[in-house]
Amino acid sequence: MKKLTILFLLLPEICSFAQNGLIRGKVITDKNESLANVNILVAGTQLGASTLRDGTFEIKTVPFGKYNLEVSMIGYAKKNVSTAVGSDSKPIIIILTEETIQGKQIIVSASKYEQKVHDLPVSTMVIESDNISGKNYLTLDNALRFVPGVQLNLEQVSIRGSSGYSKGAGARVLLAVNGIPMYSGDTGDIVWELIPITDIERVEIIKGPASSIYGSTAIGGVINIITKSSTKNPVTHFRSYLGGYDKPSYDIWKWNNGIRTFYGVELTHSNSLENLSYTFSTKKFDDLGYRQNGFSKRYLGYMKLNYDFTPQNNLTFFADFLNMNRGNFLYWKNSRNALVPKDDERDNIIKSNRLFTGLIYHHQINNAFFTELKSSYYYTKFDGYGKELTESIANLFRNELMANMILSDALVLTSGVEVSNSSISSINLFGSSKFFGVGAYSQIEYKGISKLITTLGVRWDYMKLDSLNSANAVTPKIGFNYKFGNDFILRASLGTGFRAPTPAEVFATTSIGSGVSVKSNPNLKAESSASFEIGALYNYSQNLSFDLVLYQTEYKDFIEANLVDGTTIQFINLPKARIQGIELNNSWSPIPGELKFVLGYNYMWARDLDKNIAMKYRPLNSVSAQVSFSPYPFDFGIDFRYAGRVEEIDDLFSRLVVADGDKRVPIYVTDLSAGYKFLFGGSPAKIYLNAKNIFNYNYVEFMGNIATIRNYSLSLELFF
Amino acid sequence: MKKVISSIIAIVLFVFLISCDKGIEPAPETNLSSQTGFSGKVTFIGNWPTGVARTHIFVFKSAIRTGSDFSFLNLSAVIDPIPNGSTEFKYNSVEQNYIEHEFLPDFKITHGEHAYVIVAQSKNPEISFVRADWVIVGVYNVDGDQSKPKPLLIEEGKMTTGVDITVNYNNPPPQPPM
Repeated sequence: MKKLTILFLLLPEICSFAQNGLIRGKVITDKNESLANVNILVAGTQLGASTLRDGTFEIKTVPFGKYNLEVSMIGYAKKNVSTAVGSDSKPIIIILTEETIQGKQIIVSASKYEQKVHDLPVSTMVIESDNISGKNYLTLDNALRFVPGVQLNLEQVSIRGSSGYSKGAGARVLLAVNGIPMYSGDTGDIVWELIPITDIERVEIIKGPASSIYGSTAIGGVINIITKSSTKNPVTHFRSYLGGYDKPSYDIWKWNNGIRTFYGVELTHSNSLENLSYTFSTKKFDDLGYRQNGFSKRYLGYMKLNYDFTPQNNLTFFADFLNMNRGNFLYWKNSRNALVPKDDERDNIIKSNRLFTGLIYHHQINNAFFTELKSSYYYTKFDGYGKELTESIANLFRNELMANMILSDALVLTSGVEVSNSSISSINLFGSSKFFGVGAYSQIEYKGISKLITTLGVRWDYMKLDSLNSANAVTPKIGFNYKFGNDFILRASLGTGFRAPTPAEVFATTSIGSGVSVKSNPNLKAESSASFEIGALYNYSQNLSFDLVLYQTEYKDFIEANLVDGTTIQFINLPKARIQGIELNNSWSPIPGELKFVLGYNYMWARDLDKNIAMKYRPLNSVSAQVSFSPYPFDFGIDFRYAGRVEEIDDLFSRLVVADGDKRVPIYVTDLSAGYKFLFGGSPAKIYLNAKNIFNYNYVEFMGNIATIRNYSLSLELFF
Repeated sequence: MKKVISSIIAIVLFVFLISCDKGIEPAPETNLSSQTGFSGKVTFIGNWPTGVARTHIFVFKSAIRTGSDFSFLNLSAVIDPIPNGSTEFKYNSVEQNYIEHEFLPDFKITHGEHAYVIVAQSKNPEISFVRADWVIVGVYNVDGDQSKPKPLLIEEGKMTTGVDITVNYNNPPPQPPM
């Protein structure tokens, strides 16, 4: 009887024990990487757990029932997950997506070491990788078109009006991969197709001259691609897309009855073997094009190896190879045949091979001192087939040694030296020439005065282009960042820039089609600039911010392509040019992590002061607006951009060479995207539907070239 | 939330409204047959000389008997520049009226007879009416004889077609007086 009484007294306990269960599962990123140290709380209880190194977790003794889990980790969007605990509860998989808190965003491009965006004296912008893949931007330039202050005229990028259009010969914006410049040795142009989009972690954009730390090509700004860090677990990423172009707006423009499609497939695998991590990627892209002879076929191979000798020393090597075969659509036949090239340009084809390799050795001597050696080799070869055969082979070697020292709590010193040399061999193009350049830079960041960060830098460059006279340039810069509080930050910078002419600009002697030829100009001088910007950032709340910038750049000997007579183009120096502007950026997240509005406006007054006319191919006003709405597991986006009708183009060229070449309009482009995230066999997967230029608006970025017409695409991403 | 939804609707409407325009349109069709002018093609044989800066088709009212006849006053039409290295150049005087494009917006060829139609080249990048600047390399002629210029007859409201000229660098035409 005594035993029975005890059993009776313990019965409730026994019953409650029997009704307890277990919540277990795994937390991963949307790229199938395990997340450690994620906090998981069972809402309304004291129960919770943290994930282990492999992302798994277990919460024991949870009474049967329905619960809401609060899953959080710094750097990732907080997530609520519903679950039920019962006798047959299965493990759950929770996917977290990265979220950057404005102000805490770290970038490395401004001074070649990690800095908070809010501590910088210059304007910056960051594009996250999800923004590129989710919107199915096939090349990075298409994502940049929506960045306020950044403009693309066909493939030529310009930041705050730094460039007009010169058919790829010479860039004023430095494109870099992990800080290693990626400009070709002959034309100095950017080949967007070469960029390994699949390995992009983020893209950092420095708006405004950065010659004082990056040298010649950065006179207009820097676009630095930061690749993903190595994964500790094996991750395979498969991505494929299929799309098609809609019919042209006018029946008269139809030149083909078939469906013009584009598709691509890419496979990437990353893993680690003890101290070695690696990424291998291969991609195929095939685009029939919406214009006659506008096709493109590409193969891209990419590898990255990272070896940690010690926690302080590591070596990164990457190699990127592109094989491309594409039609060379120069200009339309006329506006009645806007998607058809001129009769004698229908067979123009360009075949090219490019190999870009980079080696980065990072050596952390102590907590206050690190050095980096960056070496790169860029091989380019392209053959142009048409009325005239052209060929160019260029080899560019570059080495940079950089040191970063924290001298005191208030003083950081960054210094470096850089050597580059290139050789070109070409037929019917640039002749054969050699380039040699040396640069040395130093920059200090001083935080000794309360709330004020002062940056002072200077760079010296020496350049020798083949038989031309050598040139020297000294480019100093000073910048200030003053915080009135956490919510209001003023920044200002004053600096100089310079840009040496590229071999293409000096030596190009070729026919570019339509009877127009380019003539060399051995008298071309380096251009220089002086610029300033004043910016104010106001954070009304954590989810609403405004950024206003006034900027001005004064150019001397600005290099620009000009039609010097009816049939000859030559690169010449414009004695004086000035670009002034206002840029406003606004970001608002009424529902953090779910709903976001971004608005950018840029007013730009760009004048050739000698002729007192507007500089060519630069719009006075431009606007970009984005709305993103992401109630998990969905993603919806609207992207809109506007640019005013450019005032000046190559007028004579448009009349003599391109029929109806003066036809140009303001630009209105609206893109829509919709995505769905799901689990496929226990692995994260995403599917996206994109509609680009949904109103099928016809515009040109350069005369005689109708920009991409309305197109739709479906893309699928799997991580396993 | 209502404010947010209203904002989205406002933005979508704004975008929709400003995007109704289709942008660049095809130019209206030009009915050349009802216009006063002439058309044809120039065929080039042989290698182009070096240093040529300009090649144009000129139409003069009267033949060039002295250097001063090579003047604007005697000029009926100039066609837009012919690209260097061309082997064939098709043209019409309505769409490729160089004087109209460059200097006088109302300059048009008039009906009547025009005595001398030539293709001339200059090494001077600037357009000039100095006879010595120009070398005549082709003449619109009778029966292939470059020494016999064929007058160009233009009728009001009609396009005179087939004004073809052959430029044979291996057999240049006789040069009129300087």
